[in-house]
Amino acid sequence: MRLHPISWVMWALGAATCALLTRNPLYLVLIGLSAGLVMLTAGTRTQARSWQQLLKLGAVVWLVTIPFNALMLHAGKHVLLHLPQTWPLIGGNITLEAVLFGAAAGLALWVLLLIFSAFNIALDSSELIRLIPPAFYQVGLITSIGLTYVPQMLKSSLEIREAQRVRGHRFRSWRDTTPLVMPLVTSSLERAMQLAESMEARGFGGSGQEQTTRQQLFNSLLALCGMALLVAVLGIQLWLRQYPWWLVGLFVLALGLLGMAILRQSRAARRSRYRPRRWHSVDTLLTAGALIAAASMLAARIVGGTHLQYYPFPPNGLLPGFTPWVGVAMLFLALPALVSLALAPAPPSRRTEEGVPQ
Amino acid sequence: MITLEHLTYTYPQASQPVLNDLSLEIDDGDFVLVAGPSGSGKSTLLRCLNGLVPHFYGGHLTGSVRVAGVNPVAESPRRMAGIVGMVFQDPETQFVVDTVESELVFAMENANVPPADMRRRVEEVLDQLNITPLRQRRISTLSGGEKQRVAIAAILTLRPQVLVLDEPTSQLDPQAAEEVLIALRQLNTDLGMTIILSEHRLERVVQFADRLLYLPGQGGDLIDGTPQEVLRHMPAVPPLADLGRQVGWRPLPLTIREARRYPPLPLKADTGSPAQPERAGEPAIRIEKLHYAYGGTPALAGIDLQTWGGKVVALMGRNGSGKSTLLKHLVGLLSPQSGRVLVMGQDTRKVDTEELVKLVGYVPQNPNSLLFADTVADELAFTRRAHSLPDHDPGELLKALHLGGLRERYPRDLSVGERQRVALAAILAAEPQIILLDEPTRGLDYAQKGLLEEILHAEKRAGHCVIVVTHDVELAAACADRVVILADGQVIEDGPTGAVMARSLVFSSQMVKLLRDERYLTVPDVLRDLA
Repeated sequence: MRLHPISWVMWALGAATCALLTRNPLYLVLIGLSAGLVMLTAGTRTQARSWQQLLKLGAVVWLVTIPFNALMLHAGKHVLLHLPQTWPLIGGNITLEAVLFGAAAGLALWVLLLIFSAFNIALDSSELIRLIPPAFYQVGLITSIGLTYVPQMLKSSLEIREAQRVRGHRFRSWRDTTPLVMPLVTSSLERAMQLAESMEARGFGGSGQEQTTRQQLFNSLLALCGMALLVAVLGIQLWLRQYPWWLVGLFVLALGLLGMAILRQSRAARRSRYRPRRWHSVDTLLTAGALIAAASMLAARIVGGTHLQYYPFPPNGLLPGFTPWVGVAMLFLALPALVSLALAPAPPSRRTEEGVPQ
Repeated sequence: MITLEHLTYTYPQASQPVLNDLSLEIDDGDFVLVAGPSGSGKSTLLRCLNGLVPHFYGGHLTGSVRVAGVNPVAESPRRMAGIVGMVFQDPETQFVVDTVESELVFAMENANVPPADMRRRVEEVLDQLNITPLRQRRISTLSGGEKQRVAIAAILTLRPQVLVLDEPTSQLDPQAAEEVLIALRQLNTDLGMTIILSEHRLERVVQFADRLLYLPGQGGDLIDGTPQEVLRHMPAVPPLADLGRQVGWRPLPLTIREARRYPPLPLKADTGSPAQPERAGEPAIRIEKLHYAYGGTPALAGIDLQTWGGKVVALMGRNGSGKSTLLKHLVGLLSPQSGRVLVMGQDTRKVDTEELVKLVGYVPQNPNSLLFADTVADELAFTRRAHSLPDHDPGELLKALHLGGLRERYPRDLSVGERQRVALAAILAAEPQIILLDEPTRGLDYAQKGLLEEILHAEKRAGHCVIVVTHDVELAAACADRVVILADGQVIEDGPTGAVMARSLVFSSQMVKLLRDERYLTVPDVLRDLA
């Protein structure tokens, strides 16, 4: 059984929120472990491989930034090495604190990359596009064509480079880009024309919307009012610098108007959905897990004293602090991995019926 | 099913109509093959059937078109999508989504087909085109034949009554083309679907067709009839039909099996084995124990090969058998991981690519990869500059390649065959000793292929070493002195063209298949020995 795309989006958002709110390496390691588990259990091997390459690259960048940090920051008591003060910028003490601080900062970025990779392996880009509401159908279509186009462009660009190189072409000045760029541009244009023709022949021409002008006018008005109200609310908020209850009410109203316009437009778009994804009980579980983790992290930030920040320089110690309940909350992010492991061998449909009723 | 009456169509800004007073009728369930040289209006005719002409292209159309009672000129291509399904030449440019299953449903979602219907239709087309194992695959990972079958399946989900295909196999290798054609034949015989197909390589498909339409181009009249009749009157035909015409077989055979039914030809007795090609002097290319692997996957596993000047070698084999990898070693784009490659006596690992490409010219599969300049003459001048050669009047070379009148034309506006020859001219301008061609006959019609064969013979006479990577057995039979077949990165066959073809079931020309004699590779070979 495959999880609902929305629950994956929720997971990614939850995990990213957690990773963005803390610099504490202990929490980050927990988030990273959870995301890593999810990544290993989520996708097929071939997909995982290309993302693993990206992660390796990220790790290299991380390792490179550590000495950079250490050379620039000279505070701290634990001196590892002393460079002459006369050296510009890098002269001074190389401290363990600076190394640790740099490593923790890099870790935060790398964990974000890990979350992003896991999300991409778990969820196909085309499924993500299907989440776009029908009102924004054209946007989804363009994104989708773009995604199929990029690999083709890369391939023909490589072919052109090789062919011209063998023809004796070499880079000497900016004018030498023409033999490489022109064939790429003209083939891309030709390809775009062919695609347009093929799409026309398959009935994609036009917007596919069958609405009266009055309905369309009404929808546009609705969207316009919503937008105007939203701008007004934001303006007032900037001016007042506080949030009175009536302003919150107006904000909700503006969102409601916009939502209604999108809904009406989507309904008018008259498109059917092939195999719409069903929301299973595990999806609820997973979303709840992601929300718990993100909410705990937010709560920890508001409560304070939960060691979210990591600053190894004096007077703080080298080791980061740890608040157990925050750490435990991070483990909720590993739920998708547990779900995949538990569900993988069992026949998919039976399992959901036996599970918690929806 | 389809009725055309006095159809005349002129492209915008064209002075001559491409279709002139065309009238014909096509019955329900027919398999119609449309043939004719490039630019004769085959594609235009097909595009009239779903309204792409004139809606997408503009231009001026008179006369009437009716498909299943509907007028595509009055309706739009979008409305015609449910009646006429259209598949295009290049399998790469027909996809909107990146996985097979989502591609199949994309048009249906757009047409607001109820989900239950969609499920059923998807399962049906998966079976009809035999692509069930591919349903979860990404389109970019499919082979050409698989892509084209997915494209056909995606069209069929809209339940068209007529399937129109514009040279669907011209970009495919023979095996992939076979897959596609077999699928089409099944749709035609099992479901009675009307199929209209244009194609250059008639030998692949003519036996499936009920009817053949020949558009001669340049205002000539349409020839219409059964394949046997029309093949008698067409200027350029497949070798088997050509032989049948020359020796007076009636009806003309379309397959080897049909030709075998005629009494054996009175050929002269074998006058001893043909002269062995002499292998004197230093080889132009010497490959020794060449190994190469891409990230652990072996592509070449111990290749030993030598070629000499004044010879044409055809390098054949399946896709992925290592042909391209081998070519890349000859121009220094890849270096041997073990073994060595000597080009004109120089080790490719020790010479720069810049030096190597002065000796070796490489014409890529897609001529568009090379062409960028404003005129044909500029393309040639660029190559000479790139090789630091003095300027030189390209007139003679262009004339030899039948491009004499085109020197000031914009290369991209030319036909496929002309572009192919411009790319070849751009490479030959640097006067290389060794010429490598990658699939040079893809998309060419018979006349253009004939020109290419002439050019290759001329290069051979000039003492150059030519290596042609090709799937086209007829080209190999007409030009090559020697055939080398690769499989799994190893040479499995290497010998004189006749001997190799006589031994092989797949890599042999129609004449060899028919007569099973290594002396007869092409129709002229047979006619010469006819008593």
